[in-house]
Amino acid sequence: MSDIHLYTAQTPNGIKVSILLEELGLKYKTTAIDISKNTQKEPWFLEINPNGRIPALTDTFTDGQPIRLFESGSIMQYLVDRYDKDHKVSYPQGSREYYQTNNWLHWQMAGLGPMQGQSNHFTRYAPEKIEYGMNRYQNETRRLYRVMDTQLGKTKAYLVGDKCTIADIACWGWVASHRWAGIETLDDFPNLNAWLERMLARPGVEAGRHVPSPHKAFEMKKLSKEELDKHAAESAKWVQQGMAEDAKKK
Amino acid sequence: MAAQPQFTLYSTVVGPNGWKVAMVLRELGLTYETVYPDFSKREQKGPEFLKLNPNGRIPVVVDHHYKDFTLWESNAIIEYLTTKYDTDNKLSFGDFDNQQYMRQWMYFQASGQGPYYGQAVWFIKNGNGEPKEVVERYQNETRRVISVLESVLSKQEWLVGGKLSVADICFLQWNTSADRIILGSEFIDREAPHVRRWMNAMIARPAIAAVMQERMKMLSA
Repeated sequence: MSDIHLYTAQTPNGIKVSILLEELGLKYKTTAIDISKNTQKEPWFLEINPNGRIPALTDTFTDGQPIRLFESGSIMQYLVDRYDKDHKVSYPQGSREYYQTNNWLHWQMAGLGPMQGQSNHFTRYAPEKIEYGMNRYQNETRRLYRVMDTQLGKTKAYLVGDKCTIADIACWGWVASHRWAGIETLDDFPNLNAWLERMLARPGVEAGRHVPSPHKAFEMKKLSKEELDKHAAESAKWVQQGMAEDAKKK
Repeated sequence: MAAQPQFTLYSTVVGPNGWKVAMVLRELGLTYETVYPDFSKREQKGPEFLKLNPNGRIPVVVDHHYKDFTLWESNAIIEYLTTKYDTDNKLSFGDFDNQQYMRQWMYFQASGQGPYYGQAVWFIKNGNGEPKEVVERYQNETRRVISVLESVLSKQEWLVGGKLSVADICFLQWNTSADRIILGSEFIDREAPHVRRWMNAMIARPAIAAVMQERMKMLSA
């Protein structure tokens, strides 16, 4: 008997897991983690994830014992290994497409996520605007979008083969938030833009993206520069505070 | 004539990620030949290389015993190697739970350790008069990652399942960069003695030591 419990927040990494759970039609409990209050650094949460980051997931494993997982990519692989027996959003283990999906999933986890995250930092959260940092990470984000756009030009609909996989789901929330990272439009990336909309049309994506609270990336896209700056100033306060606390602890 | 090596590994001397794969290949007793694309000529961005990896980065591995199967992203490669060739689970696990935990730590390494240590090294080596807060941001994150490892390794010898696995090995190369470049070795010596014990236990293994020596030799050449 499964007993999935997701600990998450409204971020690109959090919604990966809720979108996947919705795509697979699985039942799950949700606990919203308030990262602006550093809930993810409380002892009970560190028992689940010593790294103090969302998302994390617990489940009852087949042997009746609890399993606790962190790192969104690893959680996604766990869920498809255990529950996606019909291969709705994955490929059979050992197949060419299985390893290629893994390849793009790792690319998202080690490349797109961290680099776009640094772009968020220098564009939105850093206490002073450092031109070099903003340019470095916005350019790297654009480079990664180009890689993805080229791949989608070859495969036509999704990153691997002809169906949506966990690799697409992993990338989606990040690409949807491109403007927060300082990438004003996706006009230079037509395949990527079409893919963003194609994914959005999936019921699982629509349901999962609003967990644990409404997904605002598309509303954010319509805001003026000034309104966006105001949002950023609010977030910057708690982001910088959290960083200072981490630095103190060492 | 010696048999052709089973794998071609595309790597670079300066970056740690190819060496991570080399450690696993050698530990598993798999044969490989290393090719070093000329980064100064941007060969890794040229059309030939982009056919192997559209992301234009090392490492890439080609498995000549399995239809020249080609894979990129270091930890995706390592998972391929253990799934396909580590059938007696020398560096991996046969049971589902530990397989998942192993993956979890490998993601943490690939998304939490590598990119942040990598930014620290970048700004230390290529810094261009940025405010000191920029380097500090990434040095602090390096310290934080080491403290997460310390919090776990102070309670257990290895990250997963009570034995050495690729989950441990994948952290080693970047941690040596923390020693050499980002923080100096005093930081781990002083603040993370269990991480130091864990690194030393890996470095003492002949296969890992051989790969590290090869890299050091090339770095100092």
